[in-house]
Amino acid sequence: MMKNILLALLFFLTGYTAAFGSVGCDLNDPDRDVARLFPESTGYKTIYTSVVQKGGEKLLARIETRLGDKFHGLYETIDVPYTVYEIFANKKKIGYIHGVNQKGQFGGIQVFLVLDLDGRIKGFYIQKMTSQYAGKLREAKFGKPFIGLTLKDFEHYDVISGKASGKVEAIKNPAPEAEADFRAALRATKKNLILMDEFGFLPQSAPRPGGPQS
Amino acid sequence: MFNHRFFVLGLCLLGLPDWAQAAGHLFYFEAQGIAGYSSQLEKPIYYSMNPDAEMQKPSLGFDYLKRFSGESGDWGTFALQGRLALTVNGEEGANNFKLEPQIYNAYFKFKTPGPYVWVGHNRPAFGLSSYFDSHGLILRTLAIQGFGYDRDWGAGLYKDFSWGDLSASVTTGTGMPAYLKGNYMTAARVSYGVLSQNNFNIGFSLGYGDTLDTMGYKVRDPEPRRMALVGADLTILRNNFEHRFDLLAGDWLGNDTYALFYRIGMNLDPENKYKIEAQPTYWKFGNETNFQMSFCISSQVTSNLTVRLGYTYDRNLEDNRVMLQLYYYRPIL
Repeated sequence: MMKNILLALLFFLTGYTAAFGSVGCDLNDPDRDVARLFPESTGYKTIYTSVVQKGGEKLLARIETRLGDKFHGLYETIDVPYTVYEIFANKKKIGYIHGVNQKGQFGGIQVFLVLDLDGRIKGFYIQKMTSQYAGKLREAKFGKPFIGLTLKDFEHYDVISGKASGKVEAIKNPAPEAEADFRAALRATKKNLILMDEFGFLPQSAPRPGGPQS
Repeated sequence: MFNHRFFVLGLCLLGLPDWAQAAGHLFYFEAQGIAGYSSQLEKPIYYSMNPDAEMQKPSLGFDYLKRFSGESGDWGTFALQGRLALTVNGEEGANNFKLEPQIYNAYFKFKTPGPYVWVGHNRPAFGLSSYFDSHGLILRTLAIQGFGYDRDWGAGLYKDFSWGDLSASVTTGTGMPAYLKGNYMTAARVSYGVLSQNNFNIGFSLGYGDTLDTMGYKVRDPEPRRMALVGADLTILRNNFEHRFDLLAGDWLGNDTYALFYRIGMNLDPENKYKIEAQPTYWKFGNETNFQMSFCISSQVTSNLTVRLGYTYDRNLEDNRVMLQLYYYRPIL
């Protein structure tokens, strides 16, 4: 019997080769969070995807170019699984919720965006952030300037220098002591929107050579 | 009783989903190696706690999660976690070896108009272990230490609220194996605070039943014993520190019992790659009292591989134990 089990296990584990990293970003309590972030929703569907699944190295290079920075560290390996929540009102899809991990001041932070079908931010939610100043970055007042922004607004945000222009410039750090987390939140927002675009969830997404596959 | 055939059947069933549509499920490969030294036994050991306990041992395994969706969204989740663990038991002389299949997590969870309901092998609604996952860790929660069950067979429900959550369970009171010999366990927990939003959660638990004394798949006493426990637990996250408290008191396996545990963890870098933890545990079980002190240093070497070096002092056993664990956890399509 043991031999059979080992053979079954080996067969099962060696039959599939594609792999991705293990630091995903899920809503901790999807029922509660989806209802709170998307009050008009009646349900959601969970989809898992990754850069390695959707286009591999070429896609990663394009994402990095658009972000203006390299992907690095445990949270940004090519095989990190991303969780996208498709939001429904009855049977009609009305938007998405998507979160990303980002290196913060005291550990990883998790930044979720609530998007309508046009890719416009309807809500901004920091899930994990253990800084003592997390409360200020979680206040509705801080999230308000994000509402209505799109990927286009973040295209000129420099994630390395933190230099912003246009509507992104209006987003102010509510806690000077938490500058690193503030910058991390903005970088995560830009990364989040780029990934949603490259994964094909945003309307401006267009097929590109070597780009995301359906 | 767990049958090895179910393990093989489970592996085969996992192969049924359409792998081309990987969007609705996650499948992880898990492997771990563990070796250490016990001053009491004066020899190397290849487990973190006890040869009969389910955790942690050299093992190969999988962790599978499948979501079921309809036209209006998700309605259910199936989870199955299995390991083939190697037990090296040298407590009574020369080492003997045994391969043991383990089902560590096996439940179907579905939405109702009210709470979520689960059926299968899952966490009883009691204490810190009702939500804190320690399946890969070498530090022991109270449930892993033997005061309760980290997982148990049965059914349960939970409901999240903006202020916290409520959960309840009715299980066999056996832990890893499933027996029905008049044994049962009921538990309920209410908590305040949403950890992911408030950085704290405080919970209060009640448990009642007649449960079996088991360790891993071994039944140490076939007679159900009274359980009547109250518990309180608290988790606080602040900057790079994590604090976890768990305490319980009442009757456990027919004995007057109280147990207290505190774990402090410090993350050493912005990606939580390096962590150090310390944990004192104290308990009284019948006439026996004991104190343990544990430390652990963790390093996430890659996104898939974590190395942990642990130390535990056990006062009653007069044991100083060091353990090295290599833990590999990798999603596979």
